[in-house]
Amino acid sequence: MAMSDTLRAELTQLVEKNPVVLFMKRSRKNPQCGFSAQVVKILDELVPQYATVDVLASPELRDGIKELSDWPTIPQLYVGGQFVGGCDIVKELAATGELPKVLGASVVATEPPTLTVTAAAAQAFAAAAVDAGGEPLHLQVDAEFRHDLYFGPREPNELEVHAGGLTVLVGRASARLANGVTIDFVEGAESGFKLTNPNEPPRVRSLTPRELQILLAKGERLDLFDVRTKEELAIARLERALPLDETGERYLNSLDPSAPIAFLCHHGSRSRAAAQHAIEAGFLNVYNVEGGIDAWSLTVDPKLPRY
Amino acid sequence: MSSHPTDFQGSIDEAIRASIVARIPDAVVEVGGAGGHFTIAVTSTEFAGKSMLQSQRLVYGAIAHLMSGNLAPVHAVDTLTTRVPSA
Repeated sequence: MAMSDTLRAELTQLVEKNPVVLFMKRSRKNPQCGFSAQVVKILDELVPQYATVDVLASPELRDGIKELSDWPTIPQLYVGGQFVGGCDIVKELAATGELPKVLGASVVATEPPTLTVTAAAAQAFAAAAVDAGGEPLHLQVDAEFRHDLYFGPREPNELEVHAGGLTVLVGRASARLANGVTIDFVEGAESGFKLTNPNEPPRVRSLTPRELQILLAKGERLDLFDVRTKEELAIARLERALPLDETGERYLNSLDPSAPIAFLCHHGSRSRAAAQHAIEAGFLNVYNVEGGIDAWSLTVDPKLPRY
Repeated sequence: MSSHPTDFQGSIDEAIRASIVARIPDAVVEVGGAGGHFTIAVTSTEFAGKSMLQSQRLVYGAIAHLMSGNLAPVHAVDTLTTRVPSA
């Protein structure tokens, strides 16, 4: 059965609009087929972001893509609107080292990223390198902006960056996301490497009630908003928290987007929604108090009534 | 091992072999596997000068009718190898 013109047009638009598209079973995070999983694994190492289409979503889609590609199996990889192949072919291209070329510079970084390594970080690495037995240092950044710094054997396809007297190897999938990263070393109670990534979009960060207590005790600038109802506030409330009523909202809207703000509710989920809303509204430093006022009663102040 | 239902009657191996030879007359076909999953190796002069994509497409084209629909006898080809005979 031939596919409808509408579906053909949709599929054509999909593969032309996205530089890299993988038609697969289920999702990148949860592939439901060994072949799809193998291709995801190969692409994840090379491409920070690519589109996937779940063919199990509809039989028409599944048959349609097979017809469009003239290829009977799933997964199917498209690059720049062109059909590349299925699992076997992607594996073969990866093994021969041709895949980065096929994927092209628009997708896979070919230029090493620019990194800044502070003097303190360089010194800390020099000390650590002695223990690492001469293995090179790697920086990895994934699509969720989780950063990893580690010593290990050199891997194929890594790009070499020289910064602050150090050589750092960065995988091609990480390169674009790592561009502009500053690596610093902080001394003190929370000593360790600190990475600042300008590419990272702002997101809601978590605060435990105890961390919140410490910040407030230190007198750090932080505006805390309580999103609960009037009835709940009557039962238990924190002195420092401003109810997010009309007055609270007016105050919130008057704040500078870079002002640190935190949201509190009963168990932490209404406040997370409010925090997410604040991110979408343009606030950059937004926290959610995990576990809410209930967790505060349990871990910080047992005198505060629970309900 | 996974199994997949099919309404196909007869030897699936033989059907795969026959379908490939019908399209590529000089093909030497080896078929292995069961439970809807197959390993196929095809050797033919037809593949000379063709890319892996073109070669595999030729073979898949020959067996497409065995792979379509929910009750297809061939659920998946685990490995498809295409070779040019060594001189």
